[in-house]
Amino acid sequence: MRETVAARSALRKRKWELPALRSSEKRFLFSKAWIVIAIAIIAFMALCAIAPQWIAPYSPVEMFTDSIMQPPSVVHPFGTDYFGRDVFSVVVYGSRESLLIGLMSVVAGGIVGGTIGALSGYVGGLLDMVLMRAIEILMTIPGILLALTIAAAMGPSMTNIVIAVAAATIPGYARVMRGQTMSINGRSYITAARSIGVSRWGIFWRHVLPNSLSPLLVMATLGIGSSILAGSSLSFLGLGVLKEIPDWGALLSQGRGYLTVAWWICTFPGLAITLLVLAVNITGDWLRDYLDPKQKEG
Amino acid sequence: MRQLSKSTKTVGLLMAVLLVLSACADNGGNKKEKTAAGNEASASPSASTQAPSATAVQGGDLTFALASSPDSLDPQRSNLAVASRVYSSIFDNLVARDTDNKIKPWLATEWTVSDDGLSYTFKLRQDVKFQDGTPFNAEAVKYTYDRILDPTTKATNSVPLIAPYQSSEIIDEYTIKLNLETASQAFLGNLSESPLAIVSPTAVKKYGEQFGKNPVGTGPFKFVNWEENAEIKVERNSDYRWGPDTVDNKEAPYLDSIVFKIIPEEATRIGSIQSKQVLAVESVPPQNIVSLQSDPAYQVLQVNTNGHPYSLLINQKKAPWNELKARQALQYGIDVGTIVKTLYLGTYEQAWSAITPGIFGYDTSLENSILPDQEKAGKLLDELGWVPGKDGIREKDGKKLTLHYVDSSPNRDKRNDIAVIIQQQLKKIGIQVNVELTQDVLTKVFKNDDFDIFGNSQVNSDPNLLYPFFHTAPEGALTNNIVHVSDPQVDQWLEQGVVERDEAKRAELYKNVQQYVKNNAVIIPVYVSRYSVVAAKSVQGLKFDHSGYPLFNDVSIHK
Repeated sequence: MRETVAARSALRKRKWELPALRSSEKRFLFSKAWIVIAIAIIAFMALCAIAPQWIAPYSPVEMFTDSIMQPPSVVHPFGTDYFGRDVFSVVVYGSRESLLIGLMSVVAGGIVGGTIGALSGYVGGLLDMVLMRAIEILMTIPGILLALTIAAAMGPSMTNIVIAVAAATIPGYARVMRGQTMSINGRSYITAARSIGVSRWGIFWRHVLPNSLSPLLVMATLGIGSSILAGSSLSFLGLGVLKEIPDWGALLSQGRGYLTVAWWICTFPGLAITLLVLAVNITGDWLRDYLDPKQKEG
Repeated sequence: MRQLSKSTKTVGLLMAVLLVLSACADNGGNKKEKTAAGNEASASPSASTQAPSATAVQGGDLTFALASSPDSLDPQRSNLAVASRVYSSIFDNLVARDTDNKIKPWLATEWTVSDDGLSYTFKLRQDVKFQDGTPFNAEAVKYTYDRILDPTTKATNSVPLIAPYQSSEIIDEYTIKLNLETASQAFLGNLSESPLAIVSPTAVKKYGEQFGKNPVGTGPFKFVNWEENAEIKVERNSDYRWGPDTVDNKEAPYLDSIVFKIIPEEATRIGSIQSKQVLAVESVPPQNIVSLQSDPAYQVLQVNTNGHPYSLLINQKKAPWNELKARQALQYGIDVGTIVKTLYLGTYEQAWSAITPGIFGYDTSLENSILPDQEKAGKLLDELGWVPGKDGIREKDGKKLTLHYVDSSPNRDKRNDIAVIIQQQLKKIGIQVNVELTQDVLTKVFKNDDFDIFGNSQVNSDPNLLYPFFHTAPEGALTNNIVHVSDPQVDQWLEQGVVERDEAKRAELYKNVQQYVKNNAVIIPVYVSRYSVVAAKSVQGLKFDHSGYPLFNDVSIHK
């Protein structure tokens, strides 16, 4: 949790430097519009996840068995599925699970990977070698394969999907964090701090860690998108639990058999995944430009 | 649940942070008015059987898309229905069962039963030979049946079917006497089941373990080749002239060959007939049947699969389902009619009994005998002391009323969707349903007994199928009696049913069992499954046997 607190303070500090960036280029104005839309989409979906009852017109489990597979209409904006459930309501309620999987696995993967990377980069020596070889072994296994294997071995549950997706992202975070820690550690202000007698771990907590976090933060933001995708893929493949309210991946998989006769059942959950991942990626890109150390120094 | 709401708070917090950071425009959606309007989903059931054409066309190749790959084409060792659909064209049986449950001659021309019912003497056809040239005779029959009893064969489904067979005596080349350990009224009919088809002794000896990949029988088609996970090809057996009464063409088939394509992916399989890559596809899901039915280029053929219909078996060892009233609450609380109508769109019929309508002794009086009644279900639970709690779920002594619903994964025949609907239906009468999906049903349900309710079905042709389900089982044994019924009266009916030779009396015994199962809410029958084939209009004469397996003898292709 300390990392995220530090990340937030790092982000707040940057905010004061925003005007310098804003004046730099005109095309930024254009991309700003996209960022606002992207952030609006994320915010809307976040709202869906937090308070679906404010948005969904029906209960996601209510089955109108006398109006199954109805195409989109005023009454049911996204149509109804083969149970007679309102697809819009199911998609709105399903956002919680999908977002949770995306966020949780990024947080878990980021914390574990970041810790390993930071320790490895800052302590160095034997610890660095052991940790990095372990990470390299993990890197040789393709991420989705690793996630599939973990999910299959541990059985279907949301926690296990989070663990599976998180495990697959650990090496990336660890590598980035290690490189960043090592580079910061070599800066002159660190040498200065050391020369006035600040303790080793004091330097780490006060200077190295806060300054190493921004690339990790960018990576995590971009990672949310791919984690949502990975989580959806796992539940699409049937490695989830049979829940009252299915997540988007499960919805896609259930609606797939009806694609030729009722396209709306899996089109809308699919669109929701696409929109969210796109929005998260646009935001992540913007965040990367914004936190770019080169632009900062310029 | 508690865990979920806790993590929900965490995500809420993170979301709030995101919101503050981005300081964006509010996009709150408006709450829409709730109006449950909609059209009645209309779908008409079709029990289409096709009239054979007056003039069959000789020649042509049929391509038939299968939904899964057979495990082996050895009738005695195969464990899968899809294998039967393929090897039935390669092999013949001693007798055939017609759709009226009458046993007809096939490789045997006539038979007699001893007075004690312990031995059957068959006269065999003399003009039959196997596809490898081996003559068909009493020796081949003895070899086939003894092979099933031999443990080194590793026979599977054929073992329970041939019971209580003990030995064969060859009277002369074309007469054989089969001896039974105990009398069985199901035995003769079971000889018509495809796992008891007659195999070529020389081929079995020649190929040994590989016989399943090189099957040789006396059937209308000869095995050609099998490309793993791609296709199986069989060709016309031009010597064939011993077809059973269940087909019109007793001679060699009209088709030159049949290619069974293995296409597991549902959408691809349906697509392959729409793009004319195949002429027929099996296992078509209801929603596609409904849409293809209205297309003049195709014909939809459906046949009920006989046996134990898909039913929910209630574990009577688990409280509170050991109490009759609790089980009856499930009986009234679950609206099976709506489930079948919603999910199967009229392509499947609702099941009412522990056996399907096509089985001898089926009790028609059970139809519509129980109709959904939530009020009654609620009252039954009230009487047991289960009263609704704050969240609507019933409680008693601080314990919530939950139902542990176990179903298998992957989702076969929309069975997981049945669980989803039942979860909502039972919530209305205050029962919380926890659905667990498992890939290992054998361990979970049969070995560990870890379930309250579990859905199952079984393909069979004789009412004796009820025996393993409801006859008292020895303690600790691995049986089909997973509901744990143990009633001396039921045991007596089932035991008498095996040996009763008077048909009317035998039917009465099985009706008693079916009544008992309904009155004691032992199971909740759901649907009678149907095997469905969609074929191009040019394919004519495709029929199905009593088990619902396709018969290709009469098939011809018209341009």
